Amino acid sequence: MPLLTIATLLPLVAGLGLMALPARSNGMAHAVSISATGATFLLALAIWARGTDPGGFAQLEEAAWIPAIGAAWRLGVDGLSLPLVLLTGLLFFLSAIYSVRITERPATYVVLMLLLETASLGTFMALDGLLFYVFFEVSLVGMYFMIAGWGHEDRQRAALMFFLYTLLGSLPLLLAIIGLYLGSGTFDMRAWTQAPPLTGPAAMLALVAMLFTFAVKTPVLPFHTWLPAAHVQAPTAGSVILAGVMLKFGTYGLVRFSFEMLPDAFAAAAPAVLAFGVVSAIYGALAALAQSDLKKMIAYTSVNHMGYVVIGVAVAALATGPLVRATALDGATLQMVSHGVVTGALFFLVGMLQDRAHSRAMGDFGGLLGRVPWLGWGFIVAAFASLGLPGLAHFPAEFQIFLATFGTRPWGTVALVGIVVTAALYLRAIAAVFLGPANDRWAAMPDLDRHERLVIGLLLALIVLIGVMPGVMLDMIHRTMSGLVG
Amino acid sequence: MMGRDLSFLLPELVLVGTAMLMIVAEMLRAARLGLAIGLAGLATATLLTLPVLDADTTVFSGTYRIDALSGWAKLILLPGTALALLMVRAEIGGRLREGSVHALIVLVTLGALMLSGAGDMMLVVLGVVLTGLGSFALVAWPRDDAATEAAMKFLIFGAVTGAVMIYGLTFWFGGTGSTLFADLGRLTGRPLVLAAGLTALIVGLGYKGALVPFHFWVPDAYQGAPVSIAAYLSVITKAAAFFALAQALRDLPREAGWPLALGLIAAATMTFGYLAALVQSNLVRLLAYSSIAQSGYLLLAVVALGASELALPALLVFAAAYVAMNLGAFAVVLLAGRELSDLEGFGRAHPWVGLSMAVFLFSLTGIPPLFGFVGKLGLFAAAIDAGHLWLAVIGILNSVLGLGVYLRLVVPMFAASERHGAMPMPAPLLTVIALTLAVTLSFGMVTGLFLR
Repeated sequence: MPLLTIATLLPLVAGLGLMALPARSNGMAHAVSISATGATFLLALAIWARGTDPGGFAQLEEAAWIPAIGAAWRLGVDGLSLPLVLLTGLLFFLSAIYSVRITERPATYVVLMLLLETASLGTFMALDGLLFYVFFEVSLVGMYFMIAGWGHEDRQRAALMFFLYTLLGSLPLLLAIIGLYLGSGTFDMRAWTQAPPLTGPAAMLALVAMLFTFAVKTPVLPFHTWLPAAHVQAPTAGSVILAGVMLKFGTYGLVRFSFEMLPDAFAAAAPAVLAFGVVSAIYGALAALAQSDLKKMIAYTSVNHMGYVVIGVAVAALATGPLVRATALDGATLQMVSHGVVTGALFFLVGMLQDRAHSRAMGDFGGLLGRVPWLGWGFIVAAFASLGLPGLAHFPAEFQIFLATFGTRPWGTVALVGIVVTAALYLRAIAAVFLGPANDRWAAMPDLDRHERLVIGLLLALIVLIGVMPGVMLDMIHRTMSGLVG
Repeated sequence: MMGRDLSFLLPELVLVGTAMLMIVAEMLRAARLGLAIGLAGLATATLLTLPVLDADTTVFSGTYRIDALSGWAKLILLPGTALALLMVRAEIGGRLREGSVHALIVLVTLGALMLSGAGDMMLVVLGVVLTGLGSFALVAWPRDDAATEAAMKFLIFGAVTGAVMIYGLTFWFGGTGSTLFADLGRLTGRPLVLAAGLTALIVGLGYKGALVPFHFWVPDAYQGAPVSIAAYLSVITKAAAFFALAQALRDLPREAGWPLALGLIAAATMTFGYLAALVQSNLVRLLAYSSIAQSGYLLLAVVALGASELALPALLVFAAAYVAMNLGAFAVVLLAGRELSDLEGFGRAHPWVGLSMAVFLFSLTGIPPLFGFVGKLGLFAAAIDAGHLWLAVIGILNSVLGLGVYLRLVVPMFAASERHGAMPMPAPLLTVIALTLAVTLSFGMVTGLFLR
């Protein structure tokens, strides 16, 4: 059974089916959404159960598309993409459950969500450069309409900025892909990784183009300016998908394209990439510290956490020993997954708070822990995970990244400052919102309902699971990464 | 010999006969009959093109080419003309001299086919004159001040550029002793003669193809003319100009820096077109400037001719995409109204038409997996393959500018507004929108079937 193809196309087909229905009630739209994303998540689990090959891509599925130029429908997974596929399936499923509260044009909303899921899964599983680019760009269109249609106060401007900025960001990748194609005569990404087609100045040009694209997407300082606006204005589920899934396009591309397909050029540029990562991580933490808007604060911590991923990938290119290199890549990949679940949980929680209070300003709250214990404790656990507490999801990932960094470029560990700052900002946020004297304005605030508890509970369980038993993810990641660097 | 030649010319001959019959129908005041004859004639000509698609030969002593370029050009231009006829029917159906417009359009398309197959300088001149004369009359059709002024401007511009072209082409004739493009190789090592003739050709065809700086007539002519005529001029005669340019430059030695000069024109055209489109509030003018920008993209393929095998397929694929998506966008404007403010809430009131418009505009931007993306992918690949990476970079930067232009239409379309209620949806127009939508959506994914 071509599970990968089915998983990729199922959301799209469900969305098209919903569009074709003559009469659509709100309930029907959400039922389609939950069942389609649920089924896709089950398919992702089935793909997970089938496992990967240590030597390369597994579960290959191929069909002719444009044979004249060597482009084809090629899907496959390895230890880098499979964890992200699983993360995507989970976050879309949870977003669908959370989104039952959407009553404004729910059918259109659901169609966009499903389109986004197809685009995201396709981006991670595509093994064809052209196909990858198609999925990568389609996700922009979906997210644009999501923000423009269901965002908050200043959504039109934020959506426009998001679309223009990220399109400008992604087009250089198209040039790089064309370069790889002209160098090899095919769009098969496996061919590009096995025998890198570009060398010398051409490879460096392609790398610069790619790095620009991935730096905008990740985002890395100074290309991050679209992110706070887009995140703050996006509807809650949009923020979750944007942070949890779509930011990973940048770091996934960094490993898959820059690291694997242009190894020599990337190794030459790695010190600069490392510096960008370090600056980004520290800046993200400091900028988050300066925010009083909870959503904006979490958005900036994404810059911080994704900075660690960039550090990990750069260190993997700089290190000489295969074990260190694998450790760095393991940490970077696990960090992507951890960031997805942790930041996903945080955005959900802030969204739930905003649904109740119609405010995201820290100063408006106080002493909420006693009033809404589920929401409060959920936020506290997720925040502790985000600041890197041992036993929770980010710790094993960041530990490996810094371990490899310390052994390779010790100066890179100054990014640890970011962790200290993050700890400070989360403790401050928890104190301001959930501790201290209770604000009477919120005396009637209801705690999380059944749906919300399901969403948060699942994410928190995963955060703890990855923190305590990182092996569930790491074993598969490590097999691929050792093959990659060995 | 003559019989062989004529068998290759069946599509053209059918078109001549069709136009004659349409004029007869107009004299009988049977506009609907004329339209039916026109559509049937275009369909027949399209079908008759299929058997000669693989031919690579010339007729009439080498002056007219029957090759892949002219064959595919017919497959693009003939159906495109049929769609334009339907749009004309929807816009001015039942009004005075409707049938003359239909017949003129078919005649102009005949000129477009001549341009696409031109193997000789004189045939280019003939094609420019034939398309030009018909187009002036089409623009002047409404007979009001705006249309008369636009047609006048169009005519004077055309007369001057045409004269310059004929004058300059004499240099090539003097240099090669022949008017055949196939003999242009003899210009090797004579850069001044090459440049003089090429400049003239660019003036003449650049005017028709709306290249900067020969584009001044475009916004006025489009605005003065009926929207459907603007749509027709923006795709059919324009694409034909680029096909003619490709026919001529295929044989020209890549000397005297002409690829660079053309590249600069392409860059200027794209950039100027989009920048000017950014500040328009009239939809027809906005689309006019946007179509100028698209001319710059079409020129990318011409620049790469002779240096990359991807150039010719890229030109054809992008031209096909451009014809479909631009006709579609004009058809929606015909339905919604001529002002940008007419679009407010239009997509909410009419979701399917609004969605179609969004698809056309995203395709014009080059967003995958739409047809326009595949076209632009080919153009960029051809440019890079030919060693013009900088042109691809400029093309890409302009895509972002283009998105800014097109989002100015998409954003208000889906804004909440009470402006639009039920409105008549003429069947011919819905047919055009549905067909162009189907092509824009699906051909991007099945392009592989056409590439060989």
